[in-house]
Amino acid sequence: MTDDLKLPRRLLIGTALAAPATIARPARADGEVIVRTPGGAYDDVMRRHVYDPFTRETGIRVTVVAATAAKLIAMFRANNVELDLIDTGDAQLMTLEGMGALAPIAYDRWRWSKPEDVTSEVKLPYRVGNFTYATVLAYNRESFPGDNHPKSWADFWDAGRFPGPRMLADIASASVNLEFALLADGVPKDQLYPIDLDRALRSMSRIRPQIRRFWDTGALSAQMLSDREVVLGSIWNGRLQTLIDRNAPLAYTWNEHMIQVQALGIFKDARNVEGAQRLADFMMQPQVQAGYAKALIYGPTNERAFDLLTPDERARMPGGENSRRSGFYQNIVWWHENRERVTRAWSRWVLR
Amino acid sequence: MPLGRLPAWLLLAPALVLLFGVFLMPIGWFLVSSLRELGTLADIREEMEAVLFSDTIGRVILNTNGIGAVVTLLVLLIGYPVSYALSRARGFAFTLILLCIVLPYFTSTIVRTYAWMVLLGRNGLINQVLLGLGLIGAPLDLLYNRTGVVIGMTYVLLPYMVLTLYAAMKAVDPRLLQAAEGMGASPGQVFRRVFMPLTLHGVVAGVLITFILAIGFFITPALMGGPADIMIAMLIEREVELTQNWPTAAMMTIVLLAVTLILYAVYSRYAEPGQGELQR
Repeated sequence: MTDDLKLPRRLLIGTALAAPATIARPARADGEVIVRTPGGAYDDVMRRHVYDPFTRETGIRVTVVAATAAKLIAMFRANNVELDLIDTGDAQLMTLEGMGALAPIAYDRWRWSKPEDVTSEVKLPYRVGNFTYATVLAYNRESFPGDNHPKSWADFWDAGRFPGPRMLADIASASVNLEFALLADGVPKDQLYPIDLDRALRSMSRIRPQIRRFWDTGALSAQMLSDREVVLGSIWNGRLQTLIDRNAPLAYTWNEHMIQVQALGIFKDARNVEGAQRLADFMMQPQVQAGYAKALIYGPTNERAFDLLTPDERARMPGGENSRRSGFYQNIVWWHENRERVTRAWSRWVLR
Repeated sequence: MPLGRLPAWLLLAPALVLLFGVFLMPIGWFLVSSLRELGTLADIREEMEAVLFSDTIGRVILNTNGIGAVVTLLVLLIGYPVSYALSRARGFAFTLILLCIVLPYFTSTIVRTYAWMVLLGRNGLINQVLLGLGLIGAPLDLLYNRTGVVIGMTYVLLPYMVLTLYAAMKAVDPRLLQAAEGMGASPGQVFRRVFMPLTLHGVVAGVLITFILAIGFFITPALMGGPADIMIAMLIEREVELTQNWPTAAMMTIVLLAVTLILYAVYSRYAEPGQGELQR
């Protein structure tokens, strides 16, 4: 019996090695949706609040996988799309949309969520925002006790009043903090775009001696703050909240934070487009969004979800009323059109 | 039939198929499909010149070679005495040295790099000990700069040098050294005129393999370096992931691959059995 089983497997491996490009795709029923996610603790939260309830309701299993932007593009180009739903930064989805890789979001067929409840800024033909997050100014409470802490990016740039090593985002994190450099240089919040790249980099040069490191991953930014490698820095609010909840002596100012969007897109050549459409629909419901938004401290994109939060929770949600007053939305269209130019200029600037 | 009687090509076949399938084919597909985006050969040449003669890549190639050279030199200086000790050690001492060198291999580079970050940080173990002993007044900057990259890479690459040198040193016939001593050579002379020349091919091989591996490094400089410590592999990753400019990434890949292959050609020439082995 066991011997009988060995032969086909050996054959299979042999075939796989000899013809890696033509490995037969395993047949997959409509009973599974494969989702690209950012991974880590995020997956656990989403499984609890979205995937498992979705499976209970529909019988469709949800499998999560990791994939970088380049991997997604390579899949599409090689005509071998291995996943259905893409849960990622909206900039990446914009690139995929530009390549014609995505299917339109089927708003007209939604049955759990109401399209009219979705924040209009994130309700787009080929992608729908599933939460917002914010890049905030964080500081160490031991280095800046009481009320004597930086309250704006101009303060962050003022190393005389607020001394100590700092960090800002590197281009490898998807975008650099040009907006903050301009705010520090006196540009008003509503006139940041189109970004004056030269002016932003000139401003950046002034603070550069104080920058210990430009962070490229959320993990590194969290680590540098908690290890006191830096006492000031830009960081994603969810990452920071995790540290604060673990009693790290850290805090942040809501003033002048940048709101960014995470979104869902669906590969048009996916094997389970229908399942992906349904999962997107399911994820956009107010009570589902309120569940994972609370756990992640990321802002819901369904306006009704805010009604399900306590005033306290609402106050610290990116994209909420408070947040819209003191922060600003990152202009993803500008970044999409200028990313290559910024990357080159940044590489030159950083190597100087 | 004993394996030894099979023709060489048949023995190599599984490895060749694997290499072809998971290395040559994907890289070929990547290069061809990326470059095809550019259009004609003339367009490719133009883009190639633009990439190769840009300011950024010039600096990065300089960085890459500079870091590679410093790391290789350090690895050689640290590795040579270690290999010598290993080649002379017996029994428990031999096992102990070998374990110290090989054990880290079983841990991933990322984990080892993070371990270094814990040691080298401003509030890391090394700075705390030095501050505690009063040897320094302020924390040393050992991380997020060139120093950090060099320390991390030297550590990761040391085993490659030690094992290469060990092979060369083990092959030196101890009777040659005894003969030199017997004929009145001082220990210094024995080393300089007999031992060192006999292990020189190992040094060349070790230096080349270390340098080849060093110039392709990604994780260590990305995690431990400062803003300006960009090596070519990091730049390639940026072009692939960030700007999604695959033609440019393909060209940089060709540069790195070409340099590696040229160095490998030199390596395979020098790594041939040297005099030491032949005399046995």
